[in-house]
Amino acid sequence: MLLDLPILEKGSFYFIKDGNTSLILEDKTKRGLEIKETSVDENLKVESDKGMIHDMDGIGHWVPIRWYFSKDSYDLSTVLVHAESMEKKYSELRELTCPQDED
Amino acid sequence: MSYAHPEVLVDTEWLSQNPPNESRKLVEVDYDPVNGYQKGHINDASLIWWKRDINDPVTRDIISKKEFEALMSKNGITADTEVILYGDFNNWFAAFVFWVFKIYGHENLKIMNGGRKKWELENRDYTTDEPQISPSQYVAQPPDEGLRAYLFDVSRGIGKEDTVMVDVRSPAEFSGQITAPPEYPMEHAQRGGHIPDANNIPWATAVNDADGTFKGVEELKQNYETKGVTPDKDVICYCRIGERSSHSWFVLKYLLGYPKVRNYDGSWTEWGNMIGNPVEK
Repeated sequence: MLLDLPILEKGSFYFIKDGNTSLILEDKTKRGLEIKETSVDENLKVESDKGMIHDMDGIGHWVPIRWYFSKDSYDLSTVLVHAESMEKKYSELRELTCPQDED
Repeated sequence: MSYAHPEVLVDTEWLSQNPPNESRKLVEVDYDPVNGYQKGHINDASLIWWKRDINDPVTRDIISKKEFEALMSKNGITADTEVILYGDFNNWFAAFVFWVFKIYGHENLKIMNGGRKKWELENRDYTTDEPQISPSQYVAQPPDEGLRAYLFDVSRGIGKEDTVMVDVRSPAEFSGQITAPPEYPMEHAQRGGHIPDANNIPWATAVNDADGTFKGVEELKQNYETKGVTPDKDVICYCRIGERSSHSWFVLKYLLGYPKVRNYDGSWTEWGNMIGNPVEK
């Protein structure tokens, strides 16, 4: 079970979990989303579980839920770079929608 | 025992033997046309996009009579045309469009049983060619408001013995555990739960899971009557945005022949967002 895997790193918006053969990066904002397919993510070039989110017009968009970085090819520091990039993207988005009071 | 109005259904085999022609139009109704109609549709089917074509672009409402007439013209439909609807998401949105067609008085109207799901399960052909359509002249009827329930109808119906509310959402939505699945981030409400005294009879209990076709009369009767949803009542169906409930509205009104069934298209995204509305969990 993915839920039971040890957590190696975590941020506000991600987990990195220790799988048998891969380091698994999970997008916490996609929790609960049904996995509709597992295929290579075009951006990160690794296997990913994907779901679909519908926009205001009802159009479905494929979104990665988690990525599987093979331990043979990736180490934790590389995965962390992707994780922190995701963290930055969501933090900026949150700042736009719910800015912190600076006083 | 057959349905109360068997004339409102055609099956996939019938359609493959009786393709569209001048007096018979086939219309695919999609929530998500990019992943539906545009990837492939039944030959000679035109498209009604639920979001763009059947809803007012600004106000949350169905299109006006004038806009409906324009939509019919664009699809080459006249008041006498036999129209067959089918679509994605288990025909939910086809049923919604069926409801709107009936509001504006279109008589000769059918649904292809099972929709895209069954057509695809049977490995039947799709095309990406769009039909050439000559615009038609269409004069619609004044809206039949007897098919539609508004917020005040629902409020008035609470606690009345002769009114029964059918909440066709999933048990998790009914109990307030979730307000919408994560894949529909635009359809959440501020409060979870259901309208007081509503019966939870999910839409899916009316269909055969394998192919999305409607269950038989006896099974449908068993499904609704045992929960107090009987033909002697004023029945109001609702869901989250009014599309799954139009599917159950269709079942109750046309397959079981209930005389008074209304679709509350405001549904939970209206009820669960209104200040002061009573909510039960």
